[in-house]
Amino acid sequence: MANSSQDFSQLNISEEEKDKLVAEVIRYVLFKTHQNSGCPIKRDELTQIVTKNYHQRLLPALVINEAIAKLSSIFGFEMRELQRSRPSSTNQQSVADAKSYVLISQLPADVYRKYIDDVNTAHLTGFTFVVISIVHLAGGKIPEEHLWHHLRRMGLHETDESHPVLGNIKQALETLVQQRYLQKDKVNGPEGNTLVYELAERALDGPVCDSIKEYISQIVKKEVASVEID
Amino acid sequence: MAVLNWKHHTLIQALMTRGPLKENEFHKIFAAVTGKNPRSHERDFNDFLLKINKELSYVQMELRRCRNQNDGQVCYGLVNNVSDEQSKFGTKYSVPQITFYKGVIEAIMQDATAQGSISTIDALNIRLENQVHRGMGSQSQGGLSQVPPALRNFSMSQKEKTLDELVHDQWLCHTPDGDIGLGVKSYLDLRSWFHNSGIPTCEVCNEAAIKAKVCQNEGCMLRIHHYCLKKKLSQSRGKIVCPTCGVQWEFQIPKPEAIEVEDELNEPTVSQPPAGSKRRKLKANRNADADIGACGSSQVSSATNLKRVTRSYTRMT
Repeated sequence: MANSSQDFSQLNISEEEKDKLVAEVIRYVLFKTHQNSGCPIKRDELTQIVTKNYHQRLLPALVINEAIAKLSSIFGFEMRELQRSRPSSTNQQSVADAKSYVLISQLPADVYRKYIDDVNTAHLTGFTFVVISIVHLAGGKIPEEHLWHHLRRMGLHETDESHPVLGNIKQALETLVQQRYLQKDKVNGPEGNTLVYELAERALDGPVCDSIKEYISQIVKKEVASVEID
Repeated sequence: MAVLNWKHHTLIQALMTRGPLKENEFHKIFAAVTGKNPRSHERDFNDFLLKINKELSYVQMELRRCRNQNDGQVCYGLVNNVSDEQSKFGTKYSVPQITFYKGVIEAIMQDATAQGSISTIDALNIRLENQVHRGMGSQSQGGLSQVPPALRNFSMSQKEKTLDELVHDQWLCHTPDGDIGLGVKSYLDLRSWFHNSGIPTCEVCNEAAIKAKVCQNEGCMLRIHHYCLKKKLSQSRGKIVCPTCGVQWEFQIPKPEAIEVEDELNEPTVSQPPAGSKRRKLKANRNADADIGACGSSQVSSATNLKRVTRSYTRMT
């Protein structure tokens, strides 16, 4: 704590100004997360909040770090940084890949399940889990038609726009891409261009990946006839 | 040094993820994480909330408590205290939709009978252009030409869709008789705005009385929430006198003795509530082995009693 206040005073900014900036960053993260249903927030958007009015070079990093600390101490949220670990073939950039953040609750899983989990969004979580598992079992990558083949077995059709629970199925899948659970790539194949879905940052994130593997193994252990993924 | 621990975080996150919670649900979570019943450990409960709010003030947010005026239920929610650049990102609604919502709120607030709701038809007929003029105030010059096309062309079906979304998100609600009322989120979020808006406040709790009982004296502005009134009635044994204008409020109390109180005559026949059974009683009297004379006179007086009872009945409803 003493270190950071030294850093801030070196940067010629008052405590109040610093607090105001940190609060703005926190508020931005909270409101944006609500508005875009948990899609990652780019680090650039956060630095912009600082650089709009302040030009000290090291200030954005310090403000963001303090915002991360406060989001944890006040709300119990971890602002986790997602890194693009698998560069998609369409994406030419590598290092220039924006860092992005998502908010993840730091509460223990049983507490979260009992008191926080919103029963009204359980269908979305379920859908997310199923799709990620399918892609995971396919080796982390799956061509579009294969994915729909499996979804159709569950009664989810590509053309269905008014599914009683999920609404527009295609849109529901697209949301997973926006939330960075999946990414879409065009692959040049012998038959022409095919669309391939790959696991993206959020699905490859350590804790998430481990939980998914655990859940899959639980399901498979219970199943006598295992389902073949082609 | 962390001031808040996982127990505080649980309550904060529950409100953030699930939206406003009714009092018993909120109490349940508190009791589960702290092992203390909020009703028996009131001070601990309040200290807990105070601690949370002290930290939340850093980001201009607040854990607030309010009454859903539709049913008197106490609710808790996390609200934003400041409208700034960041909070503008916090909404999924478009500008015309928000304008429409404001129009609905204003229409509900302007109801002099304090129903706390408007009919769906009235809601759908709200014109967004009027909202713009009100917002612009003395600056408005060009009239209709100043209204952006998105507001002017907000169609009926778009309004219907917006109403459904607003109800789903608890900004508005459907009342039991099919009208549109304010939702719990509006009561939470806009509490101070309502308070400063000039609506008469409730005599008992001093909150804006949007859905409330208005003084039966037409010129009097006094309002009391239905749930505040219930409490007052139970304390004052059924009699309320308006503190502002002194008129006594009449009430439909479902006890036969009440009719005795209202009615001046002390005839025993008065104690029968419905007029219908009185007629039956009359017939029974006639058939009974009673004095014809007494019967005859009682018939006449019974008839006038009938009139009195019916009259006092209409006074009460």
